[in-house]
Amino acid sequence: MTDILNALVILANFIFVPAMAYGSQLALGALGITMVYSILRFSNFAHGELMSFGAMTTILVTWALQSSDISLGIFPTALLAIPVAILVTVVLAVAIDKSVYQYYRKIRAEPVTLLIVSIGVMFFLSGLVRFIIGPKDQVFTDGQRFIMKARAFKQMTGLNEGLAIKMTQGITVVTAFVLVAVVFWFLNKTRTGKSMRAYSDNEDLALLSGINPERVVLITWVITAALAAVAGTLYGLDKSYKPFTYLSLLLPIFSAAIVGGVGNPLGAIAGGFVIAFSELTITFAYKKVLTYLLPESMAPDTLMQLLSTDYKIALSFVILVIVLIFKPTGLFSGKTI
Amino acid sequence: MSFLLGANMTGGYGGADILHDCTIGVEKGEIAVVVGPNGAGKSTAMKAIFGMLNLRQGQVTIDGDDITNLKPEERVLKGMGFVPQTNNVFTSMSVEENLEMGAFIRRDDISQTMEQVFELFPILKEKRKQPAGELSGGQRQQVAVGRALMTQPKVLMLDEPTAGVSPIVMDELFDRIIEVARTGIAILMVEQNAKQALNIADKGYVLVQGENRYTDTGAALIANPDVRRAFLGG
Repeated sequence: MTDILNALVILANFIFVPAMAYGSQLALGALGITMVYSILRFSNFAHGELMSFGAMTTILVTWALQSSDISLGIFPTALLAIPVAILVTVVLAVAIDKSVYQYYRKIRAEPVTLLIVSIGVMFFLSGLVRFIIGPKDQVFTDGQRFIMKARAFKQMTGLNEGLAIKMTQGITVVTAFVLVAVVFWFLNKTRTGKSMRAYSDNEDLALLSGINPERVVLITWVITAALAAVAGTLYGLDKSYKPFTYLSLLLPIFSAAIVGGVGNPLGAIAGGFVIAFSELTITFAYKKVLTYLLPESMAPDTLMQLLSTDYKIALSFVILVIVLIFKPTGLFSGKTI
Repeated sequence: MSFLLGANMTGGYGGADILHDCTIGVEKGEIAVVVGPNGAGKSTAMKAIFGMLNLRQGQVTIDGDDITNLKPEERVLKGMGFVPQTNNVFTSMSVEENLEMGAFIRRDDISQTMEQVFELFPILKEKRKQPAGELSGGQRQQVAVGRALMTQPKVLMLDEPTAGVSPIVMDELFDRIIEVARTGIAILMVEQNAKQALNIADKGYVLVQGENRYTDTGAALIANPDVRRAFLGG
Protein backbone atom coordinates (compact mmCIF):
# COMPACT_ATOMS: atom_id res chain seq x y z
CA MET A 1 0.00 0.00 0.00
CA THR A 2 2.68 2.52 0.97
CA ASP A 3 4.52 1.47 -2.18
CA ILE A 4 1.57 2.49 -4.28
CA LEU A 5 1.24 5.77 -2.38
CA ASN A 6 4.94 6.46 -2.81
CA ALA A 7 4.64 5.81 -6.53
CA LEU A 8 1.65 8.14 -6.76
CA VAL A 9 3.49 10.87 -4.87
CA ILE A 10 6.38 10.65 -7.33
CA LEU A 11 3.96 10.99 -10.22
CA ALA A 12 2.22 13.92 -8.53
CA ASN A 13 5.49 15.62 -7.72
CA PHE A 14 7.18 15.23 -11.08
CA ILE A 15 4.26 15.10 -13.49
CA PHE A 16 0.95 16.33 -12.12
CA VAL A 17 2.05 19.50 -10.32
CA PRO A 18 4.49 20.76 -12.96
CA ALA A 19 2.12 19.81 -15.79
CA MET A 20 -0.74 21.71 -14.16
CA ALA A 21 1.44 24.82 -13.95
CA TYR A 22 2.93 24.42 -17.43
CA GLY A 23 -0.49 23.55 -18.84
CA SER A 24 -1.99 26.70 -17.33
CA GLN A 25 0.72 28.81 -18.94
CA LEU A 26 0.16 27.14 -22.32
CA ALA A 27 -3.61 27.45 -21.95
CA LEU A 28 -3.40 31.21 -21.36
CA GLY A 29 -1.09 31.58 -24.34
CA ALA A 30 -3.27 29.41 -26.57
CA LEU A 31 -6.34 31.37 -25.52
CA GLY A 32 -4.67 34.53 -26.82
CA ILE A 33 -3.77 32.83 -30.13
CA THR A 34 -7.31 31.55 -30.50
CA MET A 35 -8.87 34.95 -29.78
CA VAL A 36 -6.82 36.64 -32.48
CA TYR A 37 -7.46 33.78 -34.87
CA SER A 38 -11.20 33.80 -34.47
CA ILE A 39 -11.69 37.58 -34.59
CA LEU A 40 -8.86 38.87 -36.78
CA ARG A 41 -8.64 35.61 -38.73
CA PHE A 42 -4.90 35.08 -38.77
CA SER A 43 -2.31 33.10 -36.82
CA ASN A 44 -0.47 35.59 -34.66
CA PHE A 45 3.17 34.54 -34.54
CA ALA A 46 4.05 37.60 -32.49
CA HIS A 47 2.11 36.26 -29.51
CA GLY A 48 5.14 34.62 -27.87
CA GLU A 49 7.08 37.88 -28.02
CA LEU A 50 4.07 39.77 -26.68
CA MET A 51 4.21 37.43 -23.69
CA SER A 52 7.91 38.12 -23.40
CA PHE A 53 7.28 41.87 -23.53
CA GLY A 54 4.64 41.56 -20.79
CA ALA A 55 7.00 39.56 -18.60
CA MET A 56 9.79 42.06 -19.19
CA THR A 57 7.56 44.94 -18.12
CA THR A 58 6.62 43.02 -14.99
CA ILE A 59 10.32 42.53 -14.22
CA LEU A 60 11.16 46.20 -14.66
CA VAL A 61 8.28 47.26 -12.42
CA THR A 62 9.19 44.55 -9.91
CA TRP A 63 12.74 45.88 -9.72
CA ALA A 64 11.42 49.38 -9.16
CA LEU A 65 9.14 48.12 -6.39
CA GLN A 66 11.92 46.08 -4.78
CA SER A 67 14.31 49.01 -4.78
CA SER A 68 11.73 51.10 -2.95
CA ASP A 69 11.23 48.26 -0.47
CA ILE A 70 7.69 47.37 -1.42
CA SER A 71 6.90 43.68 -1.26
CA LEU A 72 3.97 41.33 -0.89
CA GLY A 73 5.31 39.28 2.03
CA ILE A 74 5.19 35.61 1.17
CA PHE A 75 3.94 36.28 -2.37
CA PRO A 76 6.22 37.39 -5.19
CA THR A 77 6.38 41.16 -5.68
CA ALA A 78 5.72 40.51 -9.37
CA LEU A 79 2.02 40.10 -8.58
CA LEU A 80 1.90 43.82 -7.74
CA ALA A 81 3.65 44.61 -11.00
CA ILE A 82 1.33 42.56 -13.24
CA PRO A 83 -1.45 45.20 -13.50
CA VAL A 84 1.08 47.75 -14.75
CA ALA A 85 2.49 45.19 -17.19
CA ILE A 86 -1.02 44.43 -18.47
CA LEU A 87 -1.63 48.11 -19.06
CA VAL A 88 1.65 48.67 -20.90
CA THR A 89 1.23 45.51 -22.99
CA VAL A 90 -2.32 46.48 -23.93
CA VAL A 91 -1.14 49.92 -25.03
CA LEU A 92 1.62 48.32 -27.10
CA ALA A 93 -0.71 45.77 -28.71
CA VAL A 94 -3.28 48.43 -29.61
CA ALA A 95 -0.54 50.70 -30.96
CA ILE A 96 0.78 47.87 -33.14
CA ASP A 97 -2.73 47.16 -34.36
CA LYS A 98 -3.36 50.79 -35.28
CA SER A 99 0.01 51.25 -36.96
CA VAL A 100 0.37 47.87 -38.65
CA TYR A 101 -2.56 45.46 -38.74
CA GLN A 102 -5.27 48.06 -39.33
CA TYR A 103 -3.79 48.90 -42.72
CA TYR A 104 -3.86 45.24 -43.80
CA ARG A 105 -7.46 44.92 -42.64
CA LYS A 106 -8.40 47.96 -44.66
CA ILE A 107 -6.95 46.53 -47.85
CA ARG A 108 -8.60 43.20 -46.96
CA ALA A 109 -5.30 41.30 -46.98
CA GLU A 110 -5.31 37.51 -47.09
CA PRO A 111 -4.81 35.71 -43.77
CA VAL A 112 -1.42 34.46 -44.94
CA THR A 113 -0.30 38.05 -45.55
CA LEU A 114 -1.33 38.96 -42.01
CA LEU A 115 0.52 35.92 -40.72
CA ILE A 116 3.71 37.11 -42.39
CA VAL A 117 3.11 40.61 -41.06
CA SER A 118 2.82 39.10 -37.59
CA ILE A 119 6.22 37.43 -38.09
CA GLY A 120 7.60 40.89 -38.79
CA VAL A 121 5.99 42.17 -35.62
CA MET A 122 7.51 39.20 -33.79
CA PHE A 123 11.03 40.17 -34.88
CA PHE A 124 10.38 43.79 -33.97
CA LEU A 125 9.15 42.87 -30.50
CA SER A 126 11.96 40.43 -29.83
CA GLY A 127 14.46 43.13 -30.81
CA LEU A 128 12.69 45.66 -28.61
CA VAL A 129 12.77 43.30 -25.63
CA ARG A 130 16.45 42.51 -26.08
CA PHE A 131 17.20 46.19 -26.53
CA ILE A 132 15.51 47.07 -23.26
CA ILE A 133 16.41 44.20 -20.93
CA GLY A 134 19.10 42.29 -22.81
CA PRO A 135 19.18 38.61 -23.82
CA LYS A 136 20.31 37.26 -20.45
CA ASP A 137 18.50 35.25 -17.82
CA GLN A 138 16.65 37.31 -15.20
CA VAL A 139 15.41 35.92 -11.92
CA PHE A 140 12.74 38.02 -10.31
CA THR A 141 10.97 35.59 -8.02
CA ASP A 142 10.94 36.59 -4.38
CA GLY A 143 8.77 35.92 -1.35
CA GLN A 144 8.28 32.41 -0.03
CA ARG A 145 9.51 29.74 -2.43
CA PHE A 146 7.32 26.80 -1.50
CA ILE A 147 3.72 26.29 -0.51
CA MET A 148 4.61 22.73 0.42
CA LYS A 149 8.16 21.52 0.94
CA ALA A 150 9.17 17.97 0.13
CA ARG A 151 10.58 17.36 3.60
CA ALA A 152 7.51 18.75 5.33
CA PHE A 153 5.35 16.48 3.21
CA LYS A 154 7.44 13.45 4.16
CA GLN A 155 7.17 14.26 7.86
CA MET A 156 3.46 14.89 7.55
CA THR A 157 2.66 11.64 5.76
CA GLY A 158 5.52 9.40 6.80
CA LEU A 159 6.12 8.43 3.17
CA ASN A 160 9.55 8.02 1.59
CA GLU A 161 8.79 10.33 -1.27
CA GLY A 162 8.18 14.05 -0.96
CA LEU A 163 5.70 16.28 -2.73
CA ALA A 164 6.83 19.84 -3.30
CA ILE A 165 4.57 22.58 -4.57
CA LYS A 166 6.29 25.82 -5.49
CA MET A 167 4.60 29.10 -4.69
CA THR A 168 4.88 30.07 -8.36
CA GLN A 169 3.13 26.87 -9.41
CA GLY A 170 0.25 27.53 -7.05
CA ILE A 171 -0.05 31.13 -8.21
CA THR A 172 0.09 30.07 -11.85
CA VAL A 173 -2.75 27.59 -11.57
CA VAL A 174 -4.97 29.87 -9.48
CA THR A 175 -4.37 32.94 -11.67
CA ALA A 176 -4.95 30.99 -14.87
CA PHE A 177 -8.17 29.54 -13.50
CA VAL A 178 -9.50 32.95 -12.46
CA LEU A 179 -8.49 34.59 -15.72
CA VAL A 180 -10.03 31.88 -17.87
CA ALA A 181 -13.24 32.07 -15.85
CA VAL A 182 -13.36 35.85 -16.36
CA VAL A 183 -12.76 35.54 -20.11
CA PHE A 184 -15.47 32.90 -20.47
CA TRP A 185 -17.91 34.92 -18.41
CA PHE A 186 -17.16 37.93 -20.59
CA LEU A 187 -17.61 36.04 -23.87
CA ASN A 188 -20.80 34.26 -22.86
CA LYS A 189 -22.63 36.69 -20.63
CA THR A 190 -21.86 40.24 -21.62
CA ARG A 191 -23.29 42.08 -24.60
CA THR A 192 -19.83 43.04 -25.86
CA GLY A 193 -18.53 39.50 -25.44
CA LYS A 194 -21.46 38.08 -27.35
CA SER A 195 -20.94 40.61 -30.11
CA MET A 196 -17.35 39.34 -30.39
CA ARG A 197 -18.60 35.78 -30.77
CA ALA A 198 -21.15 36.94 -33.32
CA TYR A 199 -18.45 38.74 -35.28
CA SER A 200 -16.25 35.66 -35.19
CA ASP A 201 -19.16 33.45 -36.28
CA ASN A 202 -20.48 35.51 -39.20
CA GLU A 203 -18.81 38.79 -40.06
CA ASP A 204 -21.39 39.97 -42.62
CA LEU A 205 -24.38 39.28 -40.42
CA ALA A 206 -22.62 41.00 -37.51
CA LEU A 207 -22.23 44.09 -39.69
CA LEU A 208 -25.92 43.91 -40.61
CA SER A 209 -26.73 43.77 -36.91
CA GLY A 210 -24.86 47.00 -36.33
CA ILE A 211 -21.82 45.50 -34.57
CA ASN A 212 -18.81 47.78 -35.03
CA PRO A 213 -15.87 45.64 -36.23
CA GLU A 214 -13.17 48.10 -35.14
CA ARG A 215 -14.50 48.03 -31.60
CA VAL A 216 -14.55 44.24 -31.61
CA VAL A 217 -10.96 44.20 -32.86
CA LEU A 218 -9.89 46.70 -30.20
CA ILE A 219 -11.38 44.66 -27.37
CA THR A 220 -9.82 41.51 -28.80
CA TRP A 221 -6.37 43.10 -28.57
CA VAL A 222 -7.03 44.32 -25.04
CA ILE A 223 -7.94 40.80 -23.91
CA THR A 224 -5.17 39.14 -25.91
CA ALA A 225 -2.50 41.51 -24.58
CA ALA A 226 -3.71 41.11 -21.00
CA LEU A 227 -3.63 37.32 -21.35
CA ALA A 228 -0.17 37.50 -22.92
CA ALA A 229 1.24 39.71 -20.17
CA VAL A 230 -0.07 37.41 -17.44
CA ALA A 231 0.94 34.20 -19.22
CA GLY A 232 4.42 35.56 -19.92
CA THR A 233 4.91 36.67 -16.35
CA LEU A 234 3.70 33.37 -14.91
CA TYR A 235 6.04 31.44 -17.18
CA GLY A 236 8.94 33.70 -16.21
CA LEU A 237 8.15 33.40 -12.50
CA ASP A 238 7.96 29.64 -12.73
CA LYS A 239 11.03 29.01 -14.88
CA SER A 240 13.10 32.26 -14.80
CA TYR A 241 12.87 34.83 -17.56
CA LYS A 242 14.96 34.57 -20.70
CA PRO A 243 13.83 36.29 -23.91
CA PHE A 244 14.82 33.35 -26.11
CA THR A 245 12.55 30.84 -24.38
CA TYR A 246 9.47 32.73 -25.53
CA LEU A 247 10.33 32.01 -29.14
CA SER A 248 10.42 28.27 -28.50
CA LEU A 249 7.33 28.57 -26.31
CA LEU A 250 5.43 29.68 -29.41
CA LEU A 251 5.50 26.12 -30.75
CA PRO A 252 3.73 24.30 -27.90
CA ILE A 253 1.29 27.20 -27.63
CA PHE A 254 0.31 26.89 -31.27
CA SER A 255 0.05 23.14 -30.92
CA ALA A 256 -2.21 23.62 -27.92
CA ALA A 257 -4.50 25.99 -29.81
CA ILE A 258 -4.73 23.69 -32.83
CA VAL A 259 -5.02 20.44 -30.86
CA GLY A 260 -7.94 21.92 -28.92
CA GLY A 261 -9.59 23.24 -32.07
CA VAL A 262 -8.42 26.62 -33.24
CA GLY A 263 -10.93 29.42 -32.72
CA ASN A 264 -12.53 27.55 -29.82
CA PRO A 265 -11.61 29.08 -26.42
CA LEU A 266 -12.52 25.94 -24.50
CA GLY A 267 -10.35 23.93 -26.87
CA ALA A 268 -7.39 26.22 -26.24
CA ILE A 269 -7.55 25.49 -22.52
CA ALA A 270 -7.91 21.75 -23.03
CA GLY A 271 -5.17 21.79 -25.66
CA GLY A 272 -2.78 23.51 -23.25
CA PHE A 273 -3.20 20.77 -20.69
CA VAL A 274 -3.09 17.97 -23.26
CA ILE A 275 0.25 19.24 -24.56
CA ALA A 276 1.68 19.84 -21.08
CA PHE A 277 0.67 16.45 -19.72
CA SER A 278 1.86 14.58 -22.81
CA GLU A 279 5.22 16.34 -22.79
CA LEU A 280 5.81 15.47 -19.15
CA THR A 281 4.42 11.94 -19.10
CA ILE A 282 6.32 10.87 -22.19
CA THR A 283 9.67 12.37 -21.20
CA PHE A 284 9.49 11.24 -17.55
CA ALA A 285 11.82 8.51 -16.26
CA TYR A 286 9.58 5.90 -14.64
CA LYS A 287 12.33 3.84 -13.03
CA LYS A 288 11.55 4.83 -9.44
CA VAL A 289 7.80 4.53 -9.88
CA LEU A 290 8.13 1.03 -11.29
CA THR A 291 10.57 0.02 -8.57
CA TYR A 292 7.85 0.80 -6.05
CA LEU A 293 5.10 -0.93 -7.97
CA LEU A 294 6.74 -4.08 -9.28
CA PRO A 295 8.06 -7.02 -7.28
CA GLU A 296 11.77 -6.71 -6.57
CA SER A 297 12.75 -9.32 -9.13
CA MET A 298 11.15 -7.30 -11.92
CA ALA A 299 12.62 -3.94 -10.91
CA PRO A 300 13.91 -2.14 -14.02
CA ASP A 301 17.55 -1.26 -14.32
CA THR A 302 17.17 1.30 -17.09
CA LEU A 303 15.64 4.77 -16.69
CA MET A 304 12.34 3.60 -18.25
CA GLN A 305 12.06 6.85 -20.14
CA LEU A 306 10.10 6.81 -23.40
CA LEU A 307 11.87 9.82 -24.84
CA SER A 308 14.68 12.03 -23.67
CA THR A 309 13.64 15.47 -22.41
CA ASP A 310 15.49 16.97 -25.37
CA TYR A 311 12.51 15.94 -27.48
CA LYS A 312 10.01 17.94 -25.42
CA ILE A 313 9.36 20.55 -28.10
CA ALA A 314 9.25 17.96 -30.88
CA LEU A 315 6.64 16.07 -28.93
CA SER A 316 4.08 18.84 -29.17
CA PHE A 317 4.40 18.51 -32.93
CA VAL A 318 3.90 14.77 -32.84
CA ILE A 319 0.67 15.33 -30.91
CA LEU A 320 -0.29 18.04 -33.35
CA VAL A 321 0.24 15.74 -36.33
CA ILE A 322 -1.70 12.91 -34.72
CA VAL A 323 -4.65 15.19 -33.98
CA LEU A 324 -4.60 16.70 -37.45
CA ILE A 325 -4.65 13.24 -39.02
CA PHE A 326 -7.48 11.83 -36.94
CA LYS A 327 -9.50 14.92 -36.08
CA PRO A 328 -8.48 17.86 -38.27
CA THR A 329 -10.81 20.31 -36.51
CA GLY A 330 -9.14 19.60 -33.16
CA LEU A 331 -10.56 17.98 -30.05
CA PHE A 332 -13.28 20.59 -29.61
CA SER A 333 -14.12 21.07 -33.28
CA GLY A 334 -12.82 24.50 -34.05
CA LYS A 335 -12.44 25.79 -37.58
CA THR A 336 -10.24 23.93 -40.02
CA ILE A 337 -7.28 26.04 -40.95
CA MET B 1 -45.10 57.35 -53.35
CA SER B 2 -44.42 54.05 -51.64
CA PHE B 3 -43.22 53.84 -48.03
CA LEU B 4 -40.02 52.15 -49.16
CA LEU B 5 -39.08 52.92 -52.71
CA GLY B 6 -36.11 52.08 -54.88
CA ALA B 7 -36.75 54.29 -57.88
CA ASN B 8 -35.11 54.00 -61.31
CA MET B 9 -32.19 52.03 -59.91
CA THR B 10 -29.29 51.43 -62.29
CA GLY B 11 -26.08 49.77 -61.15
CA GLY B 12 -24.11 46.59 -60.59
CA TYR B 13 -21.07 45.19 -58.80
CA GLY B 14 -18.68 47.30 -60.88
CA GLY B 15 -18.27 46.52 -64.55
CA ALA B 16 -21.51 46.00 -66.44
CA ASP B 17 -24.79 47.16 -64.93
CA ILE B 18 -27.13 44.47 -63.71
CA LEU B 19 -30.10 46.69 -62.87
CA HIS B 20 -31.49 48.93 -65.57
CA ASP B 21 -33.91 51.63 -64.47
CA CYS B 22 -35.54 49.22 -62.05
CA THR B 23 -38.23 50.44 -59.66
CA ILE B 24 -39.49 48.54 -56.64
CA GLY B 25 -41.65 49.82 -53.82
CA VAL B 26 -43.71 48.57 -50.91
CA GLU B 27 -46.34 50.04 -48.59
CA LYS B 28 -46.68 49.61 -44.83
CA GLY B 29 -48.54 46.46 -43.90
CA GLU B 30 -48.26 45.10 -47.41
CA ILE B 31 -46.27 42.31 -48.98
CA ALA B 32 -44.39 42.99 -52.19
CA VAL B 33 -42.81 40.07 -54.01
CA VAL B 34 -40.07 40.22 -56.62
CA VAL B 35 -40.02 37.26 -58.99
CA GLY B 36 -38.28 36.48 -62.23
CA PRO B 37 -36.02 33.96 -63.92
CA ASN B 38 -32.51 33.16 -62.70
CA GLY B 39 -30.11 36.02 -63.22
CA ALA B 40 -32.90 38.58 -63.50
CA GLY B 41 -31.26 40.71 -60.82
CA LYS B 42 -33.78 40.00 -58.06
CA SER B 43 -31.24 39.61 -55.28
CA THR B 44 -29.20 42.45 -56.74
CA ALA B 45 -32.24 44.71 -56.54
CA MET B 46 -32.64 43.79 -52.85
CA LYS B 47 -28.99 44.48 -52.18
CA ALA B 48 -29.27 47.80 -53.96
CA ILE B 49 -32.21 48.83 -51.80
CA PHE B 50 -30.33 47.80 -48.67
CA GLY B 51 -27.19 49.66 -49.68
CA MET B 52 -24.89 46.73 -50.30
CA LEU B 53 -24.33 47.89 -53.85
CA ASN B 54 -23.51 51.30 -55.30
CA LEU B 55 -26.13 52.74 -57.58
CA ARG B 56 -25.10 54.75 -60.60
CA GLN B 57 -28.55 56.21 -60.99
CA GLY B 58 -31.78 56.30 -59.09
CA GLN B 59 -32.55 56.72 -55.41
CA VAL B 60 -33.84 54.84 -52.44
CA THR B 61 -36.26 56.51 -50.07
CA ILE B 62 -37.95 55.41 -46.88
CA ASP B 63 -40.96 57.40 -45.72
CA GLY B 64 -39.84 60.15 -48.08
CA ASP B 65 -36.30 60.29 -46.63
CA ASP B 66 -33.53 59.87 -49.17
CA ILE B 67 -31.25 57.08 -47.92
CA THR B 68 -29.39 56.41 -51.18
CA ASN B 69 -25.99 57.21 -49.70
CA LEU B 70 -26.37 55.44 -46.35
CA LYS B 71 -24.43 52.31 -45.42
CA PRO B 72 -26.39 49.13 -44.62
CA GLU B 73 -25.82 49.56 -40.86
CA GLU B 74 -27.20 53.08 -41.05
CA ARG B 75 -30.26 51.81 -42.92
CA VAL B 76 -30.89 49.40 -40.05
CA LEU B 77 -31.12 52.44 -37.80
CA LYS B 78 -33.62 53.96 -40.24
CA GLY B 79 -35.91 51.00 -39.63
CA MET B 80 -34.90 48.47 -42.25
CA GLY B 81 -34.38 44.80 -41.51
CA PHE B 82 -32.69 42.43 -43.92
CA VAL B 83 -32.62 38.63 -43.98
CA PRO B 84 -29.91 37.44 -46.36
CA GLN B 85 -30.49 34.30 -48.39
CA THR B 86 -27.60 32.30 -46.91
CA ASN B 87 -25.52 32.47 -43.74
CA ASN B 88 -28.33 34.36 -42.08
CA VAL B 89 -27.89 33.06 -38.53
CA PHE B 90 -24.99 32.90 -36.07
CA THR B 91 -24.62 29.11 -36.14
CA SER B 92 -22.46 28.75 -33.03
CA MET B 93 -24.73 30.91 -30.90
CA SER B 94 -27.97 29.93 -29.22
CA VAL B 95 -31.34 30.99 -30.63
CA GLU B 96 -31.72 33.48 -27.80
CA GLU B 97 -28.27 34.96 -28.42
CA ASN B 98 -29.08 35.27 -32.12
CA LEU B 99 -32.10 37.36 -31.23
CA GLU B 100 -30.05 39.44 -28.78
CA MET B 101 -27.51 40.14 -31.49
CA GLY B 102 -30.33 41.15 -33.81
CA ALA B 103 -31.21 43.81 -31.26
CA PHE B 104 -27.59 44.91 -30.83
CA ILE B 105 -28.24 48.51 -31.88
CA ARG B 106 -31.02 48.87 -29.32
CA ARG B 107 -30.15 50.12 -25.87
CA ASP B 108 -33.62 49.72 -24.35
CA ASP B 109 -35.27 46.63 -22.92
CA ILE B 110 -35.61 43.98 -25.61
CA SER B 111 -37.44 41.31 -23.62
CA GLN B 112 -40.83 42.36 -24.92
CA THR B 113 -39.76 42.17 -28.56
CA MET B 114 -38.23 38.79 -27.89
CA GLU B 115 -41.54 37.59 -26.43
CA GLN B 116 -43.29 38.79 -29.59
CA VAL B 117 -40.85 36.85 -31.74
CA PHE B 118 -41.39 33.76 -29.59
CA GLU B 119 -45.16 34.22 -29.99
CA LEU B 120 -44.74 34.37 -33.73
CA PHE B 121 -42.39 31.37 -33.82
CA PRO B 122 -43.24 29.21 -30.78
CA ILE B 123 -40.71 26.55 -31.75
CA LEU B 124 -37.92 29.06 -31.14
CA LYS B 125 -38.96 29.49 -27.53
CA GLU B 126 -38.62 25.76 -27.06
CA LYS B 127 -35.17 25.76 -28.63
CA ARG B 128 -33.95 29.07 -27.23
CA LYS B 129 -30.86 27.54 -25.59
CA GLN B 130 -29.88 25.45 -28.60
CA PRO B 131 -27.20 26.61 -31.06
CA ALA B 132 -28.87 27.89 -34.24
CA GLY B 133 -26.55 25.71 -36.32
CA GLU B 134 -28.21 22.59 -34.93
CA LEU B 135 -31.70 23.56 -36.09
CA SER B 136 -33.47 22.37 -39.24
CA GLY B 137 -33.58 24.56 -42.34
CA GLY B 138 -37.07 25.86 -41.66
CA GLN B 139 -36.30 26.62 -38.02
CA ARG B 140 -33.14 28.41 -39.04
CA GLN B 141 -35.14 30.64 -41.36
CA GLN B 142 -37.41 31.44 -38.45
CA VAL B 143 -34.38 32.42 -36.39
CA ALA B 144 -33.18 34.57 -39.29
CA VAL B 145 -36.52 36.35 -39.61
CA GLY B 146 -36.77 36.67 -35.84
CA ARG B 147 -33.29 38.17 -35.66
CA ALA B 148 -34.25 40.82 -38.22
CA LEU B 149 -37.49 41.59 -36.34
CA MET B 150 -35.60 42.31 -33.11
CA THR B 151 -34.81 45.88 -34.18
CA GLN B 152 -38.57 46.48 -34.58
CA PRO B 153 -38.10 47.41 -38.23
CA LYS B 154 -40.65 49.27 -40.33
CA VAL B 155 -39.56 47.35 -43.39
CA LEU B 156 -38.49 43.73 -43.54
CA MET B 157 -36.59 42.54 -46.58
CA LEU B 158 -36.32 38.82 -47.21
CA ASP B 159 -34.06 37.27 -49.81
CA GLU B 160 -35.60 33.92 -50.75
CA PRO B 161 -36.79 32.95 -47.28
CA THR B 162 -38.08 29.59 -48.49
CA ALA B 163 -34.93 28.49 -50.34
CA GLY B 164 -34.17 24.90 -49.48
CA VAL B 165 -37.15 24.21 -47.20
CA SER B 166 -39.93 21.68 -47.78
CA PRO B 167 -43.31 22.78 -49.27
CA ILE B 168 -45.06 22.34 -45.90
CA VAL B 169 -42.50 24.49 -44.12
CA MET B 170 -42.73 26.99 -46.94
CA ASP B 171 -46.50 27.39 -46.45
CA GLU B 172 -45.96 27.85 -42.74
CA LEU B 173 -43.26 30.46 -43.28
CA PHE B 174 -45.54 32.35 -45.67
CA ASP B 175 -48.30 32.28 -43.04
CA ARG B 176 -45.90 33.80 -40.52
CA ILE B 177 -44.80 36.43 -43.00
CA ILE B 178 -48.44 37.42 -43.55
CA GLU B 179 -48.80 37.72 -39.77
CA VAL B 180 -45.76 39.99 -39.63
CA ALA B 181 -47.22 42.16 -42.39
CA ARG B 182 -50.50 42.44 -40.45
CA THR B 183 -48.62 44.16 -37.61
CA GLY B 184 -48.01 47.04 -40.03
CA ILE B 185 -44.54 46.14 -41.25
CA ALA B 186 -43.81 46.53 -44.95
CA ILE B 187 -42.46 43.29 -46.43
CA LEU B 188 -40.36 43.07 -49.53
CA MET B 189 -39.21 39.66 -50.60
CA VAL B 190 -37.54 37.87 -53.45
CA GLU B 191 -38.94 34.43 -54.21
CA GLN B 192 -38.14 31.44 -56.39
CA ASN B 193 -41.49 29.83 -55.61
CA ALA B 194 -43.17 32.48 -57.69
CA LYS B 195 -46.72 31.13 -57.77
CA GLN B 196 -47.07 30.62 -54.02
CA ALA B 197 -45.36 33.91 -53.27
CA LEU B 198 -47.57 35.90 -55.63
CA ASN B 199 -50.56 34.27 -53.96
CA ILE B 200 -49.82 36.10 -50.73
CA ALA B 201 -48.48 39.26 -52.38
CA ASP B 202 -50.28 42.57 -52.41
CA LYS B 203 -47.94 43.67 -55.10
CA GLY B 204 -45.75 41.71 -57.50
CA TYR B 205 -42.79 42.69 -59.61
CA VAL B 206 -41.60 40.52 -62.46
CA LEU B 207 -38.00 41.36 -63.28
CA VAL B 208 -36.24 40.28 -66.43
CA GLN B 209 -32.62 41.18 -67.08
CA GLY B 210 -32.64 43.87 -64.46
CA GLU B 211 -35.72 45.63 -65.82
CA ASN B 212 -39.32 45.77 -64.64
CA ARG B 213 -41.30 43.55 -67.05
CA TYR B 214 -44.65 43.36 -65.27
CA THR B 215 -45.85 45.20 -62.19
CA ASP B 216 -49.29 44.57 -60.74
CA THR B 217 -51.13 43.14 -57.77
CA GLY B 218 -50.22 39.55 -56.96
CA ALA B 219 -53.61 38.24 -58.04
CA ALA B 220 -53.54 40.15 -61.33
CA LEU B 221 -50.10 38.78 -62.17
CA ILE B 222 -51.25 35.23 -61.52
CA ALA B 223 -54.27 35.86 -63.71
CA ASN B 224 -52.19 37.39 -66.49
CA PRO B 225 -51.79 34.69 -69.19
CA ASP B 226 -48.46 36.09 -70.43
CA VAL B 227 -46.96 35.99 -66.95
CA ARG B 228 -48.38 32.51 -66.37
CA ARG B 229 -46.94 31.14 -69.57
CA ALA B 230 -43.51 32.73 -69.26
CA PHE B 231 -42.80 32.68 -65.53
CA LEU B 232 -45.22 30.49 -63.63
CA GLY B 233 -45.05 27.35 -65.76
CA GLY B 234 -48.50 27.54 -67.38
